[in-house]
Order: sequence, then structure tokens, then C-alpha cells
Amino acid sequence: MLEITNLHAAYGDAQVLRGVSMRVDKGRIVALLGRNGMGKTTLIRSVMGMTPPHVRQGSVTFQGQELRGLRPHEIAQRHIGLVPQGRRLFASLTVTEHLTMLGRAARHRSQWSVARLFELFPRLGERRQHRGHQLSGGERQMLAVARALTQNPELLLMDEPSEGLAPVMVQHLERTVLELRQLGYAILLVEQNLYSALAVADEAYILETGSIVHHAPVDALRHDRPTMHRFLGV
Amino acid sequence: MSMTVFQAMNGATFAALLFIVASGFTLIFGLMRIVNLAHGALYLMGGYFGLVVAHRTDSFTLALAAAALAVAAIGFGTYTLLLRFVGGNVLRQVLLTLGLALVLDDLALVIWGGDAFTVPIPEALRGPVQVGSLVYPKYRLFLLLFSVAVFIGLALLLRHTRLGALIRAGVDDAEMVDAMGIDIQRVFVYTFMLGAALAGIGGVLGGAFLTLYPTADSDILVFSLAVVIIGGRGSLAGTAIGSLFVGMLATFGQVWFPELAYFVIFGPMALLLAFRPLGLFGRTA
Ligand SMILES: Nc1ncnc2c1ncn2[C@@H]1O[C@H](COP(=O)(O)OP(=O)(O)OP(=O)(O)O)[C@@H](O)[C@H]1O
Ligand SMILES: [Mg+2]
Repeated sequence: MLEITNLHAAYGDAQVLRGVSMRVDKGRIVALLGRNGMGKTTLIRSVMGMTPPHVRQGSVTFQGQELRGLRPHEIAQRHIGLVPQGRRLFASLTVTEHLTMLGRAARHRSQWSVARLFELFPRLGERRQHRGHQLSGGERQMLAVARALTQNPELLLMDEPSEGLAPVMVQHLERTVLELRQLGYAILLVEQNLYSALAVADEAYILETGSIVHHAPVDALRHDRPTMHRFLGV
Repeated sequence: MSMTVFQAMNGATFAALLFIVASGFTLIFGLMRIVNLAHGALYLMGGYFGLVVAHRTDSFTLALAAAALAVAAIGFGTYTLLLRFVGGNVLRQVLLTLGLALVLDDLALVIWGGDAFTVPIPEALRGPVQVGSLVYPKYRLFLLLFSVAVFIGLALLLRHTRLGALIRAGVDDAEMVDAMGIDIQRVFVYTFMLGAALAGIGGVLGGAFLTLYPTADSDILVFSLAVVIIGGRGSLAGTAIGSLFVGMLATFGQVWFPELAYFVIFGPMALLLAFRPLGLFGRTA
């Protein structure tokens, strides 16, 4: 579904990704792990066509089509949903407005009506007139996920969705992610929270200073103490 | 006493004109972070277009519509052919829009010469009207009502339409709007055209009582900048209050301290900014 091959990306002269290759298949949750500053967000931004960084080499294909060179909205329109690091909600939009930003035609085609999103996240329904900055941390994360779903995505890119959430909200998030996989979504999940990633993912890649240094099924990684210690410091 | 009321009315009506022009400026500045130094030149172009159409057709309404469309078209060209290629580079934006302002100014000088013109207004808006004990020009009252209508129209657009929601979202985080599958460049173009059209409309309205002449644009530009700096970028209410502030200070300053007219505006502005660096209604980005 998503295939990244030998991707090089840089901020100006600072090379951050040095030949990353990985793939995410339909119905799979793939975790991308790695310590702070290793280039996880840079990878997500590169896939999404967001600049900076600038992709210098390599390719990103989705369902066989090259994404490199497309602009972010063109990539999103190919049904890739983004839950960015830090949520990045719109402070002056209400909850409902976040979910109705897309044009009527696009919303009509989407299987995620506002009503269905409020079914998935009842808390958002109760706060539909609140603005982005009036929500609690957990509600913000739900809204960030709901907003990405309006895209009718087949692939979700989630960048540290559990960051800053209380444990019960992390569990809620994990359940949501698993539900989405049940529905056949592919998910690329960037996580600092190793235990959360291990709880939901099928396989994991470890990124270390811009390169993939390890790739394994999560079941194997869970018992691989030396690898976890070496690359993740746990 | 009644002289003071008269001056206050003059201040309010000048503020009305400033609001119409500066609301266009702040829309563009708020969403795209572009300080459009050609905004005054767009005002002047709108005034001259309105002048031509008003003379040809004898219709003030047509003059307004034609100026809005023509200047929106200039805005479209400016954005799609020039500005979008300089990206977020502030220095290049400033140089580009300043250059455009100079070109448009010279163009106006070549076409319309150095004389001052006044856009003719319809019979119905000429002459004075009695409000209580005050006798006041009808046209200026019309201008006041017009600016209120523009305020309400823009507020409805921003609050209750999808384009309005996209503009607000874009002010918050334009890149994220794009990542949602919405072509942010299209939102930018529409907003730039809308902001330019407001300058053009302002040119016709202002040209009917302030006269049009080749450097009329720099005054309007400087006043608009002051309005936006005082009101805070991208805020409609801030622009309204900033306009009132600048309109009143400009009018009373000219009456009371004619030699210090500019200082009377920019002195308090500097003081205000010392305490509220983002303006009265400014929010951090
Ligand atoms: N806009 C930028 N300009 C220059 N360098 C950047 C920029 N953004 C990130 N970097 C650098 O690129 C490297 C990778 O950053 P990135 O944000 O991709 O890391 P990350 O793995 O997502 O970290 P975290 O877990 O803290 O989110 C870091 O060294 C960072 O300092
Ligand atoms: Mg990151």
C-alpha cells in the first residue's frame, strides 16, 4: 500500500533521512520507533509532501502511484489522513467546523459523516460548538483523529498520538486504533511510548539517526531486550 | 460644541473609509502574512476605474462594481503571477509589492495625469442632511452606513461560510489546511482578490470626497498600516476599532495640531505597541 524506498531528506544542508526504506500494507499497524530527533516527524512530513524538509532522493509510492513531487492536498486527496505531532487543531474553528472543512462533494463520498464521527467519539458530539483551544488534551486528540478520518483515508499517518495523554486516554486511543485496523485501515504509527506501540502494532521499524536499523514483528521485538535497550534506551 | 461634534463625525466617516480599505489589508496580512505595500496603489486604481465608469455611465453603483472587479483582477494577477513565487520570503514580498505600487502609480500618472479628480456621486447623495441640530453632508453618512454593511458582510462571510472557515483555519495553520486535502493556494487567491476588491471599493468611495491624485495612495497605505498595527492582524473587530482610533486622531490632530498631524497618530501608536506588541486584538501565531 505505502512503499518508501531509499528516501533521503534534508533541511537545507542538514541531512536527516539517509536512505529509509519501509512499507505499510493494508490492514496493518506499523510502528515507527526511535528516540527524540531521529527523524520520525521528518519522515511523516516527507510522505505527506510537506516542506521543509526537501526530499533529495528516493521514492514514496501509494497504491503503486508516486507521491513525490505532489503537494500536500493532492496527497491527502489520495486518501491519506494525517494526525500530526502536537495535534495542530485550528484554534478558531469549532469541533463541527473541523469536521466539515472539506467540500460537500468530498464529504458525500466519505464514509465518515459527522454523525458517524460523533458516534465513534461521543465526547466530541457533546462539545461540538467548542473551539479547538477549549478542549481537554484527550478531546483534542480525538478531534485530531476525527479530522483525519473526514479525509476518508485508507492510510492513516499518526505522529505520537499518545504524547501528553493520561493513561486512560492512551487506552482509549489504543482501542480506537485497533477498531480502525478492524475496518481495514493501514496505519503508520510513530510512537515514543513504546508500550503503547507494542500493544497495538503488528510490526515495528526502528529509526536511528536517519536510517532504519531494525525491522521485526512486534511479538519478536517484545522479547528482544538487547535491541530495545540499544536503540530505544529501555 | 457643535464644531466638536462635526469634527467627531468627520473622524468617524474617515474611519469608515479606513475600515473598508484596511479590512482588505488585514485579511491578506492575517492569512498570508503578506504586507501588501501595493494596497494603497490598488485603492488609487479603484478610484480611477470608478472615475472612468462613473463618467461613462453616470452610475455610482456601476462604478463601485467595476472598480471592485477590475482591482480584484489586478489582485489575481499579482498573486498568481508574482507573489506566489516568492513564498514566505518577507524581504522579497516587500520589494515586490513596493515595486508594484510604484509601477501602478506611474501608470496612473501616464493615463490620468497629475490633476486631482473627484468621483461624481449620485444626486440623491449630494448636499447636506439635518440630523438633530447638526447639518451634515449626506454622502459622508452614506459612507458610514456602507462601512457598517461591509463589516456585517465580512463577519457573516468569516463566521458562516465554508470559505470563511477555511480563511480562519488558514490564519491559524495554513500548512495543516493543505494537509487536509484543501488547496490552500486557492484559498489564498480568493482572499487576495477579496482584499484587493475592498481596496478598489475604498478608492471609489474615498475618491468621491478626498479627491484622487497620483500620490493619494501613500497616505491611505500609511493609515491602513497604522490601523492594522493598532488593531492586531487578521481581526475584524480590531480593524474597526483601529480605524476609529486612527480616524479620530487624524481628524482632531489636523484641527488642533496641524503641524504635528502625523505625530498625533504615530505617537500614541508607538505607546500602545510598547504595552501590547501584538495590537489591541492580536494573538500570537
Ligand atoms: N524545520 C527544521 N529545520 C531544521 N532542522 C530540523 C527541522 N525540523 C527538525 N529538524 C531536525 O531534524 C532532526 C529530526 O527531527 P524530527 O522532528 O524528524 O525528529 P523526531 O524523530 O520526530 O523527534 P521527536 O520524537 O522529538 O518528535 C532533528 O535533529 C531536528 O533538530
Ligand atoms: Mg517528531
